[in-house]
Amino acid sequence: MSTLTRPTAPERLVTEQRAQANRRRRRREGRIGWGFFAPFAILFVLTFVIPILVSIRSSFFTEKAAGDSLYGGGGMVETFAFLDNYAQVLGNATFWEGMGRVLLFGAFQIPVMLGGALILALLLDSFIVRRVAFFRLSYFLPYAIPGVIAALVWTYIFSPGLSPINQTLGSISEWLTGLLGNNVDLTIDFFAPGTIIASMATMTTWTFMGYNMLIFLAALQAIPHDLYEAARLDGAGEFDIVRRIKVPMVGQATLLAVLLSIIGTVQLFNEPTVLAAVNPWMGNDYTPMMLAYSSMMGTTSPSGAGPASAVSISMAVIAGILAAIFALVQKRSTR
Amino acid sequence: MGIAAAATMLFGVTACSTGPATSGEEAGPNESITIDYLHRLPDGEGMTKVADIIAEWNTAHPDVQVTATKFDGKAAEMLTKLKADVKAGSVSCLAQLGYSEVPTMYTEGMLENVTDLAQGYVDNFSAGAVALMTVNGETVGLPQDTGPLVYYYNAAEFERLGLTVPTTADELAAATTAAAAAGKYAVAFQPDEAQYWLSGQTAAAGAAWFTAEDGKWSVDVSDAGTAKVASFWQGLIDTKSTLVANRWGDEFKQALVDQTLIGTIGAAWEAPLLAGDMAGSANEGQWAVVELPTFGATQMTGPDGGSGVAVMKGCAHPAEAMDFNNWFNTQIDPLVSQGLVVAAKGAMTTPDSIKSFYGGQDVFSVLAAANESLSPDFIYIPGFPAVNGDMVKAADAAGQGTAPVMDIFTAAQTSAIAALTSAGLPVAK
Amino acid sequence: MAPTTQTPPSLRPSPATLAITRIVLIAAAVLFLAPVYWLIVSSTKSNPDLISSNGLLFAGNNIVENYTALMSWTQGNFWRWVGNSMLYSTVAGVLGTLVSVSAGYALAKFRMPGKAGIQLAILGGLLMPIALLTVPLYIFFNGLGLTNTIWAVIIPSCVSPFGVFLGRMFVDAGVPDELLEASRLDGSGEVRTFFTLVLRLLAPAMVTIFLFIFVATWNNFLLPLMMLNSAELKPVTLGLYGMMSYFSPQYGAVLQGALLSVIPLVVLFFVLQRYWQSGLTAGAVKG
Repeated sequence: MSTLTRPTAPERLVTEQRAQANRRRRRREGRIGWGFFAPFAILFVLTFVIPILVSIRSSFFTEKAAGDSLYGGGGMVETFAFLDNYAQVLGNATFWEGMGRVLLFGAFQIPVMLGGALILALLLDSFIVRRVAFFRLSYFLPYAIPGVIAALVWTYIFSPGLSPINQTLGSISEWLTGLLGNNVDLTIDFFAPGTIIASMATMTTWTFMGYNMLIFLAALQAIPHDLYEAARLDGAGEFDIVRRIKVPMVGQATLLAVLLSIIGTVQLFNEPTVLAAVNPWMGNDYTPMMLAYSSMMGTTSPSGAGPASAVSISMAVIAGILAAIFALVQKRSTR
Repeated sequence: MGIAAAATMLFGVTACSTGPATSGEEAGPNESITIDYLHRLPDGEGMTKVADIIAEWNTAHPDVQVTATKFDGKAAEMLTKLKADVKAGSVSCLAQLGYSEVPTMYTEGMLENVTDLAQGYVDNFSAGAVALMTVNGETVGLPQDTGPLVYYYNAAEFERLGLTVPTTADELAAATTAAAAAGKYAVAFQPDEAQYWLSGQTAAAGAAWFTAEDGKWSVDVSDAGTAKVASFWQGLIDTKSTLVANRWGDEFKQALVDQTLIGTIGAAWEAPLLAGDMAGSANEGQWAVVELPTFGATQMTGPDGGSGVAVMKGCAHPAEAMDFNNWFNTQIDPLVSQGLVVAAKGAMTTPDSIKSFYGGQDVFSVLAAANESLSPDFIYIPGFPAVNGDMVKAADAAGQGTAPVMDIFTAAQTSAIAALTSAGLPVAK
Repeated sequence: MAPTTQTPPSLRPSPATLAITRIVLIAAAVLFLAPVYWLIVSSTKSNPDLISSNGLLFAGNNIVENYTALMSWTQGNFWRWVGNSMLYSTVAGVLGTLVSVSAGYALAKFRMPGKAGIQLAILGGLLMPIALLTVPLYIFFNGLGLTNTIWAVIIPSCVSPFGVFLGRMFVDAGVPDELLEASRLDGSGEVRTFFTLVLRLLAPAMVTIFLFIFVATWNNFLLPLMMLNSAELKPVTLGLYGMMSYFSPQYGAVLQGALLSVIPLVVLFFVLQRYWQSGLTAGAVKG
């Protein structure tokens, strides 16, 4: 406001006072903000920051037997290894193969799961369905089934001898074989190396589609309904409302859902572990998270807190990079 | 949930369970001490509950009270918890450990040396099992149960097919081939159990993969025994005479129930499990058990599992703990009810339910005899749990016929050397 | 979400649209519920029946035997463990939701020094695999004397970085600045504004966050496995894992336990339904 003429002394005083008031207000606002943030901050430090710092520290150490006799020397000594653990991870073909698998998995599974979740959320949010509560529960219920139970369900559904899907497909195949004269086999080997990733994707989608649907649904419900009224007055149909208002307004929810899915993909663990129990060829290091866990549990070499932490921190960094790339791309495209 | 109950949970439980076992405070003349004991016993229906066994001890010993806790996770997860507990200074005094895990925990400094305390008790247990709880000349606890390999078979089906019960590996291979001609399997190759199941067989054939050589570990799978086991399975896999199925998968159980699988090499502790898998089917009363057909020159078997109860580092009352350890592990019948083939000396009574499944056979006398013929030479290295992944992967490939069986043992060797090296232990070249 | 009757006549969907929508929703429901159906069928079977009978059809009635087995395997603690799970999940859910929304509100509506750093730190918390943090957390909590208490499960469970991001998003979308200003001009303090206005506006969003934390706590396995020793403190999921970690579990009993333990969740879901719909959206307030 005073860029054209030099301010007079009183004017300067006023500006000064305003700036001071502004600063005070800022400080007050900051204090209040931190007040609301403090409970989370304290808990976050206790349960995340401290263990993460411990984890980062141990990633720079290895544990070796204290002595050099057959059974060591009655204990382990921690020795500073600097980046050895990381070099071990980054030079480990198993780690990168696992990472490749989960990324391949994510590239197909995330769009399908989130696309499906968004469609279901839009349908439930439209005005045309009754019994929303029932549908919402049906879609969310798989997330509420404990992992150990879901494991039983899926090993049964995929099991070569028992699979109800294959029993049905088998009957159809027989019928077609009789009809066409040549041998038709439609049955699927869910456990074959070529299909196992799709099998995992099916399990994950089943578990998490309803979860993500709830995220979208909550975001849709937060949209002010007068926007719809205004659009309708302008002659927009329901479809236009979905396309022009609803989908753009859930942009932030989509960003969150995608970020969470990327992280979940890099940390993929439950589904491959379940499948590995009945498919030994997968081993206990099929995905990076399985490698980290086995390393922590001492069922692969090298094991211990150091190597396990190095694997998990490497995973976090890769997930972070992917998340950042996605966030940037989304920012660009919405501009 | 009442507030009172919640309050007990908050304050009561912390007060009594983290304190006494490890804090090192000495019990006064009239005070009782508490021994914590962490186990992975199944504690299922129809078994004598651990809590009931312990209640008996607690009544008789008001000054040494034992609290037993079942750990709900897997063995490897329990090791991880125990290590964290030792670091945090709050470990249970006693913990159940698999024999193959004992050297690992010993090397990591997680176990107390109770050799002197054990002197008065070791005679109550089979010498071979005590040896498995002894590392580097130090006894770290007492054995609980053993897992010698034996051979289970459907006697009725064997008779129907005119098969003789095999006493040697070659006879077993012949029986398997004959059964296969009739559309049945007399053995199953079990990739998921490869680590202990196959290493146990090589032990039965006389192999000792891990030996000391000038103060260093020598890892060698190029012996005749290992070769014998490899060629045995290779032959059966090549001719498709054996079922290839994971022991804990549905396919295996299905084959048992519908009687396609009429025989299997399994650990002694599988006796009640097999009976359970086939309960209510036509198999009832048809099965029988014999000692493992000999793979080597003499009647010998190898270890597949089994565990002991070790005294953990930092236990404040090792003498009382060992006293209880001895008492608990000599409660033969209650432990048998938990599905164990106990390591304590003394006759095991075969429970009626198991006896009737095995056609009235005194199953546990066979298992006890198998126990006596365990190979004394096969020991485990520190880090043996880490060998599992590679062996199982290789076993799956061998089962599919995409790689030779011998690869499983080569994988074991490579993986064992890696485990030793990464733990900083000396390996002979 | 309003029933069809309230829709203006001009907006009534065509019969075709309606039919397609219904088919899609019902087909999806069938796909999602089919495994649950298998669960129900299987929980009535004995182990041999599970292997030898068709999985989609009932075969033999083993319900009572399975229930007896469930009670025996859980040492008669089953319902106590369900109660424990309810307690942990409810307390963690309520605390976690309040803490998350409060933190999200701070990030959305206040200019705070260090905000960018905070958000990065929270994201960092989201990026680290939780399973790998459990052991260090256990040792740290042990030092605080918290292990083997209910707080060892509740405190870590109520910290949800994702909940904070969700909370922030919902505040951004559903709490207009004008309303906050109006409330302040009315002389309402910050805390009062938060509890009376903001939380009311966010009801549907909070139900979502609550459900996420509730279910995650209910199904968490590694945390209670490491933190708790006493049988009296176990949550039900841990007990079911314990039955499964044995070589030859009685599957029917485990599955029945899982089904019984899901019932409280289903009830909860329908109870929360009310709050979901009654939540005042920003539009409704303004209008």
